[in-house]
Amino acid sequence: MSQAPGILEASYDRAFTGLSQARAAFAPHLALREVGFITGVSTGIATVSGLPGLGFEELVRFPGGLLGIAFNVDEEEVGVVLLGEYQDLHAGAEVERTGRVMDIVVGEGLLGRVIDPLGKPLDGRGKVASDRRLPVERPAPPIMDRVPVVVPLQTGLKVVDALIPVGRGQRELILGDRQTGKTAIAIDTILNQRGKDVVCVYCAIGQRAAAVAKVVANLSEKGAMAYTVVVVAEGNDAPGLAYIAPYAATSIAEYFMEAGRDVLVVYDDLTHHARAYRELSLLLRRPPGREAFPGDIFYIHSRLLERATHLRPESGGGSLTALPIIETEAQDISAYIPTNLISITDGQIYLSPTLFELGNLPAVDVGKSVSRVGGAAQRAAYRAVAGDLKLAYSQFEELEAFSKFGIRLDKASQQIIDHGKRIRACLKQSESQPVSMHEQIAVLLALTAGLFDRVPLEKVAAAEMALRKAASDIPAEVVERLTSADKLSDPDRKAILDAASRALAAFLPAPEPAPPAKPAK
Amino acid sequence: MSKQAKIAQQFARQLFKLSVADGAVSAERVGGVLAYVEKNRPANPVMVLRAYHRLVATELAKSVAVVEHAGVVDDALLATIAASMSKKYGRPVAASGRPNASLLAGLRVRVGDDVYESSVAGQLSALASAV
Repeated sequence: MSQAPGILEASYDRAFTGLSQARAAFAPHLALREVGFITGVSTGIATVSGLPGLGFEELVRFPGGLLGIAFNVDEEEVGVVLLGEYQDLHAGAEVERTGRVMDIVVGEGLLGRVIDPLGKPLDGRGKVASDRRLPVERPAPPIMDRVPVVVPLQTGLKVVDALIPVGRGQRELILGDRQTGKTAIAIDTILNQRGKDVVCVYCAIGQRAAAVAKVVANLSEKGAMAYTVVVVAEGNDAPGLAYIAPYAATSIAEYFMEAGRDVLVVYDDLTHHARAYRELSLLLRRPPGREAFPGDIFYIHSRLLERATHLRPESGGGSLTALPIIETEAQDISAYIPTNLISITDGQIYLSPTLFELGNLPAVDVGKSVSRVGGAAQRAAYRAVAGDLKLAYSQFEELEAFSKFGIRLDKASQQIIDHGKRIRACLKQSESQPVSMHEQIAVLLALTAGLFDRVPLEKVAAAEMALRKAASDIPAEVVERLTSADKLSDPDRKAILDAASRALAAFLPAPEPAPPAKPAK
Repeated sequence: MSKQAKIAQQFARQLFKLSVADGAVSAERVGGVLAYVEKNRPANPVMVLRAYHRLVATELAKSVAVVEHAGVVDDALLATIAASMSKKYGRPVAASGRPNASLLAGLRVRVGDDVYESSVAGQLSALASAV
């Protein structure tokens, strides 16, 4: 109790010192402001009259410090998208021009922070320590500053790294029905960047607060927040915030990219973003098109994703890889927004609810997934196995469909099915457990060499774990060559396969005892 | 904005152009325009007149400097403000005083959409933003 007055005194001193400094720095002057008036307020939108000099996408300030973006600039009236709580606004209230466009705080101080799309901290750790700001809407890097995607970005997921590889600077769409593990793939990719000098930005758009809290807790628990920035527009936020969230996240990522670093951005998800934009557009009375989306719905996503690239060394050499997520309904990937995003991106990872229900996780449907540019970025060791693996897997999927009808299969077909079942078992992977590159290559090489084919199916998971453990004994120089060499050399292949054979030996069925010799007559 | 509203607004703008003489809204011309509208009723007359009223009011507001003040402001000061605003905008601007105790002290001058803030309340608000 005796310490209380002292603590109070110290906190008063701090407060008054801050006030004194602000007062000393403050120079009153005759300020010219351009003001207009609110003529109407609806969900997330305000109409404003006056402000004749207001520019497109300029920020305006409402009473209480609420900001808005000028979206529809007409001669008579301006449609403003509100970026926050608007319950206290009323017709006739004054609106002020700010003379600037929407921007966001950027910098190293954001790493490990959880912020909203305006840059306000949501993690209770005080103001973000950075003075640098960038506009949320920025032009994409010019063509001449870009280089082709040639450097891989390991996701730590065997099925993705082997069959749908992602390169740095690529835009790879993750799509699927709800609850099929889309976010899990993105989060696993973030977790796998630990120690790889890749900055990650996770942008949650219109998500439930509980789901975002779970993601943040998962990232913190696995030590991923140290290199991650989380930008959150919650489901109950104004639609304006959901609309600017991915652009703000991209500006944060671009700061790091322009500093020469590799960045991964996850937009979770752009379905909510498209819906927020549709809501705003309809309220602004813009003409609706297909599925009531406005005419520029394609453009808002293409201009966002065009900002992902790999810069040439003269421009810093950084990269921005984008993993946009889209939610489909009833597996309809030909709906408006999914097809738009499929055509904008450099490939897609499709998650099948059927595979999810069967417990084949991650539920990646290899047949419907593709990476259009990642193959060039794939490491030689993966390339050595990917072709055979994909072929064997698609043959298996085709034959498996036939075998369900109870058709009697010939021996060769049965072998293909048995092999495919083992591929599927080996590609299974638990959530939040990324697998290192050399472990993946050991498993995939063993698979394609048929080393798993003699392992009973129920023991494949355990055998795969044993093989991964054994892969940690692969000599460091071999691992180094797997990362950097242009080709998987025969001695390296042999070294890995020998290690794999030794690891799998314990899981092979015991040889059948030889039949007793017949007594001689 | 509906198609009807757009047409009404375009018509109101044409009427407004007819109401301006020598760069300023003319009372005589406005009277003429209103008489014309009354005689030849356009489609959606209420919409047209509302838009026309807004245009005229906006234009007239540009010729009046509303001086909100918390203390005493004499006619000489109003005349000085009117003269400086006329010079700044290049058109005759009249000054009109309006007491506003919430400013605490000082003045706030509004000419159309422009607000010149030199009141204590405005400065305190700016200081609050700076803190």
